[in-house]
Amino acid sequence: MEQVIANGLYLGAQYALIALGLTLIFGLMNVLNFAHGQMYVLGGFITYAVYGQLGLPFPLAVFASGVTLFVIGGLMERYLFRTVIKRSHREESTMLLAAATAFFFDAVILLIFGEKQRGVPKIVKGVFNDFGVILPYDRILVGILAGLCIIAFILALKYTKPGRAMRALAQDRVAAQLMGVQVERYTMLGFALGAMLAGVTGGLLASITGINAGIGGPISIKAFTMIMIGGAGVVGGAIAGGFILGMMESVGLTVLREYGDVTYLVIFATLMIFLSIRPNGLMGKPWG
Amino acid sequence: MAHILEVKGMTKRFGGLTAVNNVSFVVNEKEILSVIGPNGAGKSTLFKLISSFLKPTTGEVTFRGERISNLAPHIAARKGVVRTFQETTIFRNMTVRDNIIIAHHLRSKASLLGYFLGTKIANEDQAAFGKSADEILEFLGLLDIASETAKNLPHGHLRALGIAIGLATDPKILLLDEPFAGMNHDETMKAVTMVRKLRDRGLTVLLVEHDMPAVMKISDRIVVLNFGEKIAEGTPAEIQNDAKVIEAYLGVEDEAIEL
Amino acid sequence: MLNNKKTLALAVFLLAVFVIVPYLIGTTGRKDFYYTLTSVALLSIASAGVWLTFFIGRINIGQGAYALMGGYVSAVLVMSYGWSFWWTLPVAGILCALASILIGFPILRLRGVYFAMVTLVLTEVTRLLALALPITSGAKGITSIPLPGALSIFGITIIPDFATMENPRIAFYYLAAVLMVLCFAGMYRLVNSRIGHICMSLQQNEELASSIGVNIAALRVIAYAISSFLGGISGAVFVAATQSVYPSSFTVTDSVNFMLNCFLGGLGYVFGPMMGTLVLYFGWNLLFETGKFQLLIYSTLMIVLMLVLPNGLMSLRSLWKKG
Repeated sequence: MEQVIANGLYLGAQYALIALGLTLIFGLMNVLNFAHGQMYVLGGFITYAVYGQLGLPFPLAVFASGVTLFVIGGLMERYLFRTVIKRSHREESTMLLAAATAFFFDAVILLIFGEKQRGVPKIVKGVFNDFGVILPYDRILVGILAGLCIIAFILALKYTKPGRAMRALAQDRVAAQLMGVQVERYTMLGFALGAMLAGVTGGLLASITGINAGIGGPISIKAFTMIMIGGAGVVGGAIAGGFILGMMESVGLTVLREYGDVTYLVIFATLMIFLSIRPNGLMGKPWG
Repeated sequence: MAHILEVKGMTKRFGGLTAVNNVSFVVNEKEILSVIGPNGAGKSTLFKLISSFLKPTTGEVTFRGERISNLAPHIAARKGVVRTFQETTIFRNMTVRDNIIIAHHLRSKASLLGYFLGTKIANEDQAAFGKSADEILEFLGLLDIASETAKNLPHGHLRALGIAIGLATDPKILLLDEPFAGMNHDETMKAVTMVRKLRDRGLTVLLVEHDMPAVMKISDRIVVLNFGEKIAEGTPAEIQNDAKVIEAYLGVEDEAIEL
Repeated sequence: MLNNKKTLALAVFLLAVFVIVPYLIGTTGRKDFYYTLTSVALLSIASAGVWLTFFIGRINIGQGAYALMGGYVSAVLVMSYGWSFWWTLPVAGILCALASILIGFPILRLRGVYFAMVTLVLTEVTRLLALALPITSGAKGITSIPLPGALSIFGITIIPDFATMENPRIAFYYLAAVLMVLCFAGMYRLVNSRIGHICMSLQQNEELASSIGVNIAALRVIAYAISSFLGGISGAVFVAATQSVYPSSFTVTDSVNFMLNCFLGGLGYVFGPMMGTLVLYFGWNLLFETGKFQLLIYSTLMIVLMLVLPNGLMSLRSLWKKG
């Protein structure tokens, strides 16, 4: 039981971090970043390259992942999304652009890193074995790091100038503009940050579960599921969604193991029922 | 005169904000009743509640004795309670005539499948709708612009089109949403005449409005809201001399505008 | 109903599909083209379904789920219950429609990106279902599905057994083409009838549609059911043609592609999905020559397309009209 909770917490922290990035982008631009999972994968591979192949320290590797994705995210917003959003009034265009970027990432990652599953040496050896919980130290470390990132992120959003600007933008674009918020700069920053979060999580988790080119899509889907549960565009929702999904996965893996891979089916069925009652998720802002 | 619509104890809360608070009044058959009040008084919320586009927190609306307040909007429309929209909401890419023909939906005798297959009843419907649309166009003086695309119309005509669409549903009571908004004097007078003609056609009209002179001219009775509550009800003469109403309107003008 | 110009166009089209194409393929010997065009026809049917969902104002990225579902229904009925393929075809469609009604109730009221998100997840979940359920045989899928048998009514053979044909590909081509023509004929009729007008009113202004008595919730469910029916049929025929079905037969990528087909062909045109599928399918196949760069070039072109023509290919048409 405690094991299930511990697993759920550690998973939840990771997922919350992914969901945060996605919800930030959604809240700022009303764009669903289809490539979010692929950004995670790219971050993981960068960490693999820097830490696993070049042998540089792990924190540096994760930092590299973060920075690279930050830059990529910023460029994507500036040159791709901004153009399309400006020139098209259809939601489908941005959605298809997002889908295209996801395919693009997939293609690039496959070309550069190949299809094989890659792993990296453990960052911390040893296993914690107490209170009925067995959890390797590296997972605990990564979980804590993720938790710290979440807290740092929330604090930054609340107390820094860019953070407040982005919150204002997410709430009401026009009002924010009228109040003098530089919409373009902060939108770009937001997308870059969202991408960075995905990359960092990828880097962190690569040290535990390894990384391969094919998991980008499924991770995106998981991220969407989290947002649907918790509500899109709201920080609290992303965190809630992330932890809930982490918990459900943990429970499902243990309890439903005999029935095969039905965990996600159960999650999805529950989601359907849940959405009938609360279409906008737990805390989401109504769409449209 | 029997009352055709009754609003009983209508309250609507949005989270912590009470937009409409315990409002009650009746609308008599074939009368023109206006709901007025300063900005933010809750008129448009009340309007949406009556036409079933919002669900009340408490209270109810009955139409000919039957509760309509918790029905889906299209069912309320079926029962004869039809609202119009402010000018911006119309089927923009269709012609005026087509707009009105589509709006005859409620009068169709054929089923959807019938329309798909092109059955005889469906074709009869289409013919009947065309005739009815022409009649409405003539009634409202829109025959000249019948083939114009809706989005190209000036707002006076758009307003008339909105009413035409409402008429197509064969309503018993028509709820007009700020029918005189943004009009100059001439346009307003034309619109006033149009609303009178609606009553002559046998309809009951409930309208929500800001434009005081028009309201005074056209209404049989007036209900005044302020801060979500009903503060007065009566004939135009009574309302014009009601102390609370004067205070509500004067009070607002004196205060600084808070957004 | 149809004026002369349109009747002529229709005649030319039918002639091309049913006479000219087979003749050309016969003379040039490019028999593989039968498979290509069959795929195009079937994929355009699925894309037509997506187009219909758009017609009621929803962005549907989940058609792959119903294609997969339809494919499996047909496969299971044929393999495990010995049904004739011809009966599984409508049943696959109807089961998909029923499933979509069930799923549609909670999700159709979601709009825009929210709805799209859910449909995306739907595709993935169907894949997981296929992996998990015993009836679908998991990851190894269902293979060696026999070719469709004969279809006879009252002892008269209308369609001969595919196994007896020298080249079943031709038969599949005709089947797909007939279905495609029926599908688009139906769509054309729907769009130009009163139902079409009501749906357009829904797109333009939901509240106004409500106020004139349109039951918008019911209309959406009906449209979604028809859309999923089309997806199911498309999947069923596909599986019969490839004689196998796997959980990965239709993926999220396919769902996105169906959307892309519609968008490219023009969301305002009934025949848009057909055009879009044709262009994109051939485009993708042409890129096959580039080997491992196929996806890279494809996605780059997609990005460029979005940047240059954010309103779809058909916006070129309106530009051309102006100039």
